[in-house]
Amino acid sequence: MTSLWQRWIDRRIPPADRQQLNQRTIFILPTGAGLIFGLLLLIMLVTGINYQNSLIYLLTFFMGALFVAAMHQTHRNLTGLELVLVRAGEGFAGELVPFVLRLGSEKDQAISIELSGAFPPPGPQSIEVGDARDVTLLTETTRRGPVSMGRVRICTRFPFGLLEAWSWMRPRTLGLAYPRPLAPVQSPMTDVEGDQQAKSIVGAGFDDADIRPWREGDLSHRVLWKRFARTGALVIADWSGEQGSPQWLDYAAYPGVDVETRLSFLCHQVLERDQAQQLYGLRLPGMTIEPGQGEAHARRCLRALARFGLASGEPGADLVPPEETGDLL
Amino acid sequence: MKKPAMTIPARALFWLIAAFALLIAPQWDRLPVWLLVSCVALAGWRWLAQTGRVRLPGRWSRALIMLTLTACYIASVGGHFTVDTAASFFVLAVGLKWLETRQSRDFYVLFFILVYLAAVNFLFQQAIGWTLINLVGVVLLLFGLQVLNAPNLSTRSLGVGRRLGLMLVKTLPVVLLLFVFFPRMSPLWTVPMVSGQSRTGISDTMAPGQISALAQSSERAFRVTFGGPIPPHRDLYWRGLILDQFDGETWTQRQVEPAGAPAPVALDGGMGELSPGDYSVLLEPTNQRWAFSLKPSIALSDNIAPAGQDLFRFERPADTAVRYRLSNVTKPDPATGNLTAGERRRYLQLPADSNPRATALARRLAHQADRSTDVINAVLERFRQQPYFYTLRPPPMPSDSVDALLFDAKRGFCAHYASATAFLFRRAGIPARIVIGYQGGSPGLNDQYLIVRQYDAHAWVEAWIDGQGWIRVDPTAAISPERIESGLREAVADEGSFLENNWTSPERYADVAAIQWVALQLDRINYQWQRWVVGYQGQSQLDLMSRMPGHLSLRDLGYVTAGLLAFALLVAGLFSAWQQRGHWQRDPWRRQLDRGLRLIRQAGIDVHPGDTPDVIARRAAQRYPDAEKELTGFARLANNHYYGGGNTDLSPETDRQNLGQLRKRLVRLRRVLRQARSTRTSRPNR
Repeated sequence: MTSLWQRWIDRRIPPADRQQLNQRTIFILPTGAGLIFGLLLLIMLVTGINYQNSLIYLLTFFMGALFVAAMHQTHRNLTGLELVLVRAGEGFAGELVPFVLRLGSEKDQAISIELSGAFPPPGPQSIEVGDARDVTLLTETTRRGPVSMGRVRICTRFPFGLLEAWSWMRPRTLGLAYPRPLAPVQSPMTDVEGDQQAKSIVGAGFDDADIRPWREGDLSHRVLWKRFARTGALVIADWSGEQGSPQWLDYAAYPGVDVETRLSFLCHQVLERDQAQQLYGLRLPGMTIEPGQGEAHARRCLRALARFGLASGEPGADLVPPEETGDLL
Repeated sequence: MKKPAMTIPARALFWLIAAFALLIAPQWDRLPVWLLVSCVALAGWRWLAQTGRVRLPGRWSRALIMLTLTACYIASVGGHFTVDTAASFFVLAVGLKWLETRQSRDFYVLFFILVYLAAVNFLFQQAIGWTLINLVGVVLLLFGLQVLNAPNLSTRSLGVGRRLGLMLVKTLPVVLLLFVFFPRMSPLWTVPMVSGQSRTGISDTMAPGQISALAQSSERAFRVTFGGPIPPHRDLYWRGLILDQFDGETWTQRQVEPAGAPAPVALDGGMGELSPGDYSVLLEPTNQRWAFSLKPSIALSDNIAPAGQDLFRFERPADTAVRYRLSNVTKPDPATGNLTAGERRRYLQLPADSNPRATALARRLAHQADRSTDVINAVLERFRQQPYFYTLRPPPMPSDSVDALLFDAKRGFCAHYASATAFLFRRAGIPARIVIGYQGGSPGLNDQYLIVRQYDAHAWVEAWIDGQGWIRVDPTAAISPERIESGLREAVADEGSFLENNWTSPERYADVAAIQWVALQLDRINYQWQRWVVGYQGQSQLDLMSRMPGHLSLRDLGYVTAGLLAFALLVAGLFSAWQQRGHWQRDPWRRQLDRGLRLIRQAGIDVHPGDTPDVIARRAAQRYPDAEKELTGFARLANNHYYGGGNTDLSPETDRQNLGQLRKRLVRLRRVLRQARSTRTSRPNR
């Protein structure tokens, strides 16, 4: 039964990153308070009949008509609301991955819209006509790999809370969960040259500072601004001076450890190296990422780890916000 | 509901408290003072707590307050269950609930109770002003709900009033139609009395001085519309009840009338045309079964029944306003038959040895006269000739009141004179009884109807004359003809005692034309309101329907209502669908293309902005090879229309043909896609 209902819903609301709510996709039912309100109307009607009191009839009809009007109002509160997934986020497995939805309303003011299906639910949102607002929804993850946002429920009870109109959205674009970082128990068995050197480098101070020209991806706080002021050249202080001794993070370095744990170890190390601003490369079976550093590099490595061994071809996480309006031709 | 506990925004609470204040206002005169005071205090406490100035009571003090007030309530109710006590209970419940109004759930509990309280208020107060206050109270509740449901918006940006106003305007026609056509069924079961409290009005005993207290009240007793012109003041003797037992001080009813168990009875006497001689009475609640009538009358509406002695009774005490109609039969039936021995004894009953001087007078009169009528005339002549005065300030007459009035004080009110007259008649051997009711009344605006007020209360005597039956003897008419000809105001004009204790009554200032005019206007509005809106009940509805073509019965009305409702819902649905169709395309090509794209999207194919028709068709055809022909056709037609088919522009005619082709193609595409998807879903792995 549930699955039949689900299937019907899924057919009615196909997965999409952009969805404008309309009569096809909005559902509406009385809330608990609405049901009690119905009961109250019935009691009022019976009171009116038994006491033959016209004014009670009048009040009952008035409230009943208002209930119907509220039904339209609640429904209209959602109609025309456009939801666009503007960013499918990334995060570590076991943590919360942010998805950003943009709510926009063209025709009617949308008042007190609540989004659920994510944790924790953000508070009620109100969107003026012609306005848009970004809402971040956090999705729980358990495993590494692509993360589906699942079904987001968009609902409203405005104006009286007697009825609830709701719809669902199923964004197509997936987020990504990196492996859960785990500190390796034993130091990696590397057969790479420069192992000794690497060990000595870890924890080295400023003494090894080296200077190299600025490259894309370098963080601005590492630019030697004093020197820039003096010479006009953007140079970077490379503290550990790994240039000549790239450190490889290798999948093969943990024999006997299962795949997920290995990936977790590697993930931890990527983070460690990135934090220490070291130069590092990543070797996975069938994939090698040349040594580098900086945020972009770290992200590349993390993504490789997240997707390792999973069916490729999933849409990337670099979702570009879709262009405005669905004008096809 | 598993919603997280949500606190109530201060503004929502404000509306709620304001609504509460309005909705208990119609109860001010019946709620016990302690309850009113504690409700105000509790609501004030809650408000101060919201602003952070005080704290809400803890669990123990809350329990203490609750127990105290509940005990007070139980003590004051004392086991009587009426709507009145139930309403007090609602008010008490709301008052106590203020102390634990924390979450939106509590808000809804209060909302429901207060809406029902508004309904209950209508049982007590039906005047147009109170109706407005009730409705405003409900509207404020709805304001509060809107604010509660949009806590992060300011009231101004919410436009609560404007939204609600629009909703009301849109729903008004439906509400009115429902009001007119919803079948007014007879009561489903017996309901408790609205109120057990006694009301201002005549009572079923008469001791000297009682009616003179009523004379200080200008409350309305009832209003009458006549089929013809209003009869002269002196003929308007509204008979209510008969007192036939005298103990020397007080007149009472020998047979105490049964109080009348509450029964499901009609309260409405209809609103059809009144023939000459007919009259329709709209009685304010009395909590008694007496229906006031002229003599002689026959009942036209079925909510009153003759009760002997030419009186009429309701089946159920009039705990709300009641409308009934009668016909004043101009030719009285010849009095048939005689009093039985029992009846004669009953109407001659007197305490053995009281009022010796009056007894002597009566014996002397009886001795001198041949016939009963001579005695009657002699008594009236005595009142006319001797200096008897009609006054609202009679001296106290503690014992032997008849003697005191007739021989010493010679100053009294209608009750005194009626009592003395009946006493004399009975001592003289003429069966006599006291009739209590109202006399006269003042015309409403433009003499459209008659307003009878409490100060019109009156007592007079009926005496039995063999061959003629009961005839009316009013000693007051002999002493103060003004009272009977034009009313109490003129009768006591010299004395200046008219409404002397009643400063607020507009009647007191009736000589100021403006006040009188305003008072009459207000009364007329309220009377029309009472007649056409409040009184629009079963009989009136049938009367109205019988005047409309089709002669609808109650059952038909049910169908009409159901049809109306369905129609209203349909119209509302269509209207809102039409409103939401903002992106309705005027361009037929655009419409067809949108339709095609919708079909493709539904089939699970991505359509990105910027895709050309060809790209989309190809992408869809990969997944649905069966539909390839239709898809490419769709793309080709779209391209032809928008980008031209080849070098020359398409002629309008070809374009139209193409559009038709596109339509057909889309129908086929839809079928093919549906088939393809059904085969897909039937297979377990797609």
